[in-house]
Amino acid sequence: MLGTLSLIVAYGVYKTRNVDNVKSYLLGDKDLPWWTIGLSVMATQASAITFLSTPGKAYDDGLGFAQFYFGLPVAMVFLCIFVLPIYYRLNVFTAYEYLEGRFDLKTRTLTAILFLIQRGLAAGITIFAPGIILSNILGWDLNLTILFIGIVVIFYTVFGGTKAVSVTQKQQMIIILTGMVLAAIILVFKLPPDIQFSDAVSIAGKMGKLEVVDFEFDLSNRYNFWSGMIGGVFLFVSYFGTDQSQVQRYLSGKTLSESRLGLLFNGIIKVPMQFLVLFIGVLVFIFFQFIQPPIHFNKANLNKLENTVYETELAKLQQKHKETFELKQTSMRSLITAIDNKNQNEILAAKSNIDALMQQDSQIRADVKGLILQADDSAEVKDSDYVFITFVTQYLPIGMVGLLLAVIFSAAMSTTASELNALATTSVIDIYRRSIVTDKTDQHYLKASKWLTIFWGLLALGFALVASLFDNLIEAVNIIGSVFYGTILGIFMVAFFMKRVGGKAVFLAALLAELIVIAVFILDKMEIVSIAYLWLNLIGCILVMILAGIFEELFGKDKT
Amino acid sequence: MENNKNIQQDTDEAPAFFGSWKNLYLIVLVFHAFLITVFYFFAKYYS
Repeated sequence: MLGTLSLIVAYGVYKTRNVDNVKSYLLGDKDLPWWTIGLSVMATQASAITFLSTPGKAYDDGLGFAQFYFGLPVAMVFLCIFVLPIYYRLNVFTAYEYLEGRFDLKTRTLTAILFLIQRGLAAGITIFAPGIILSNILGWDLNLTILFIGIVVIFYTVFGGTKAVSVTQKQQMIIILTGMVLAAIILVFKLPPDIQFSDAVSIAGKMGKLEVVDFEFDLSNRYNFWSGMIGGVFLFVSYFGTDQSQVQRYLSGKTLSESRLGLLFNGIIKVPMQFLVLFIGVLVFIFFQFIQPPIHFNKANLNKLENTVYETELAKLQQKHKETFELKQTSMRSLITAIDNKNQNEILAAKSNIDALMQQDSQIRADVKGLILQADDSAEVKDSDYVFITFVTQYLPIGMVGLLLAVIFSAAMSTTASELNALATTSVIDIYRRSIVTDKTDQHYLKASKWLTIFWGLLALGFALVASLFDNLIEAVNIIGSVFYGTILGIFMVAFFMKRVGGKAVFLAALLAELIVIAVFILDKMEIVSIAYLWLNLIGCILVMILAGIFEELFGKDKT
Repeated sequence: MENNKNIQQDTDEAPAFFGSWKNLYLIVLVFHAFLITVFYFFAKYYS
């Protein structure tokens, strides 16, 4: 693992040893081909959380989360048609630079600040999330794990800038894809000899784990076809079109055509890749129907019960868990026989037995969580993020464990590197050089970029060191994004498509819309309204567009 | 308000594959629709 990571970092540093001016540091040399752009865009989005949380999500809820990505290919096409040509024509460093020409300085600054807030918070989570899981599983110190990830990323991002980020991401993404495909293959071979792959898929289907498309329109359901195709399109247009951590990836393309091909490549590969990651989670679920799973996947939590008054109670629950598992295994085999014989009555009987045993097991697992909370009321008892890493560390051969840990560290580093690079670029180009120190040399801004990369890196590290675990890590990042992306996208939509609206109207509209989105989010948290977070993107965007239209009518004639 | 100095020469040219961008966009979208359909029938078949 250390060898793979060191080689990638050394390669990135070597390839960027000649970077000596701001343009080269922040935009690369604009010489990247489409496949590097495509892999870099994918690596930026696919954080370590993707590979830790997503299989755990499929283990619990099946493949439905794939619908979250359904809007992505549509968003890629939209960006290629409407957005990329504008950025290329204006030769901008950041997406927000365009807004000053279209509106005014305050709108550019507001949008840059909204980006800095949400991306600054997310950068902390992208270091913290894998840190806490890896430290719990590997027995490493949490702070040292976080510092290890953070310092390596800060080192090569400060050293080589954008180009170092992109060239390392290409290698990291190759490692990630290879690792996940191998994990899927090994999982199939790890199933008991009498269980064929087709049996495993049949069981998953009967247990409702393969429900990948849900056409029922329900605003409170987080993942269905409609939230993915409508809310998702808005989220991804906003993320890929206006989030500097992504915009910077394709702005370093050799030509407009290379950047377009890179985004379309992402549009084609992303959904199958997420399907694969989720499917791995389903295979882990099947695997643990035949190999007894731990009673609780977060080993650190179980350790809290050792040598306490709860130890005897835990031992009793362990025994019950074992008995339930043995009964469930018998019922699983009956289900396979019934499926092979195509006997509907037997299928229903076996399934009903398994459902009852699953419920029993869920109760046992809930009781264990209760014990953990009694021993430590601040413990995080949700353990789905630990499912995949538990499987990797306990059931894969040593070489594969190293490769998959390299996958997870690579993913953490690739996303964080893009974020730090984008945060520094936006801080220098949209705030520092534009409004604070406006007349210094190129070398001064190059130094400022490096210092700001260190600043954001340390801030993210600080946030990671004090953050506490969210309900589900991948959702936490997406939820933070959804609160801000809608407004940012709305500003860009007005810029692109509402030519008569000026700076004052869009600025006021964006402020008001952001307040409303935050209010809706809080009301949802307080369970006063029920709106899945993906819809916040749509609400923010539409609000900015409608309010900007109204304000333009009211205050008009202020166009810049 | 666009800064003319910033305006780069438009390097928009036809893609290396499938003749035109329009064709390529269509292929991406059709492939995506195909994928969703396959997912749907895959789930239906095994449920």
